[in-house]
Amino acid sequence: MKLELGYIPIADIQFAKVSKVEDGTLYVDQEALKAFLYQDDDVRQWVKDFTFDIAKPGESVRITPVKDVIEPRVKVEGPGGQFPGVIAKVDTVGSGKTHVLRGMAVVTAGKIVGFQEGIIDMTGPGAAYTPFSKLLNLVVVAEPAEGYQDNKHAYEHAVRMAGLRAATFLGELGRNVEPAEVQVFETLGIREGIARYPDLPRVAYVHMLQSQGLLHDTYVYGVDAKRTLTTILYPTETMDGAIISGNCVSACDKNTTYHHQNNPVVAELFAEHGKTLNYVCNIITNENVYLADKQRSSDWTAKLCRLLDLDGVIVSQEGFGNPDTDLIMNTKKIELQGVKTTIITDEYAGQNGRSQSLADADPLADAVVTGGNANEVIVLPKLDKVIGTLDFVDVIAGGHAGSLREDGSIEAEIQVITGATNEMGFNRLSAR
Amino acid sequence: MVKEIERVGIPVVHMCTVTPISLTVGANRILPTVAIPHPLGNPALPAEEEYALRKKLVQAALRALCTEVEDQTVFEN
Repeated sequence: MKLELGYIPIADIQFAKVSKVEDGTLYVDQEALKAFLYQDDDVRQWVKDFTFDIAKPGESVRITPVKDVIEPRVKVEGPGGQFPGVIAKVDTVGSGKTHVLRGMAVVTAGKIVGFQEGIIDMTGPGAAYTPFSKLLNLVVVAEPAEGYQDNKHAYEHAVRMAGLRAATFLGELGRNVEPAEVQVFETLGIREGIARYPDLPRVAYVHMLQSQGLLHDTYVYGVDAKRTLTTILYPTETMDGAIISGNCVSACDKNTTYHHQNNPVVAELFAEHGKTLNYVCNIITNENVYLADKQRSSDWTAKLCRLLDLDGVIVSQEGFGNPDTDLIMNTKKIELQGVKTTIITDEYAGQNGRSQSLADADPLADAVVTGGNANEVIVLPKLDKVIGTLDFVDVIAGGHAGSLREDGSIEAEIQVITGATNEMGFNRLSAR
Repeated sequence: MVKEIERVGIPVVHMCTVTPISLTVGANRILPTVAIPHPLGNPALPAEEEYALRKKLVQAALRALCTEVEDQTVFEN
């Protein structure tokens, strides 16, 4: 399977009467965008109003609470469309040509459902902890309809759809724009791959998806990941939005849809493909709350690793706590099949960094990359403008009563910052 | 907490869903329960059935408490 990604650099976003991409500027007609979001029945039912805002790198702007971050893309050649089974109809994606609006993102924010959404600061010390401070962000602020508090799952779904629809609307504007740069990604069939790279180690990516339920969910081709069995994807499928986030887990290590579209493990494995290794495929597996599910899913992960005759895998986790057990069960069982593992996780080692980092451990998990300690405390100075609301700073995960101080600054754990300790390695924090 | 209570000589049954973590942290009597968001119940069941489920779990825990163990033991139902 072969996918061509064409990157269209976006250097500015402006509100305008007509939506278009021209000379590196994205012009957005807010009324047309709003009308497109409201074409969805659930959005109409649960979102009273939308306001749009633009946040640029270096501005004194704080976006909170952040629900999801999404990169606008459009399929210009080949089967399917973005977010198959959710926005586009179900069709296998990951081949043909896709255009990407690079350097920008859609951010959904506002009075969102739970207590675990994050903060993106566009300047100051907080900005260094989130990759999204470097992007031009079109922020979609949703205002819930009456009664949303008794229908949180329905409201989360509506805001999720609104974010994906906004990205679809903007991505479409890049359909007829000539990309500045094109990158090609190709995955070979099993026999073909062995024939072409007989001496290279066979490596796959075990991609663990958050699926604990209660607003901690991920969707694959529209299917709730907690109702899936471990399976195989072509790596390019994720670049076309086959996996989307419906996850409100702690902001620092939730994989937003943007992370899934731009998975750095996939990027690195493709970069090494044919040179130091043979990148075979992605194996996706879930993180459920029943022990039997954990056992079944990790059994299947190990079974597929053996069946594919792999030499090694990279395993990435999402979230923390009981998913640490999924991580360790996967790693242990894969190692026992004779396949080497390296895991990417993060740590909850306490504010002083002296507690046990993971809830579970095993001697076979001896190659570990960390995304950093989520309990590390940071002070975020008051910024001039807030997109969204500061009402929830004290109660989001990583905050505490009094996090929002009288002078407008925030003292909290870096857990509150979107993407701070990402477990795909999408950020710069780590340790030796 | 399980280990600290046992340290002063009182035996403990750790009722929990993710038994591998319980084994890692060193509990001696471990009783598997329902699910992480609702270890000792199941909101999907009618009230009477859920009561029966809860009673069964507590009885199993009491039996585990009265059972001599030589090593870390998971009491499968």
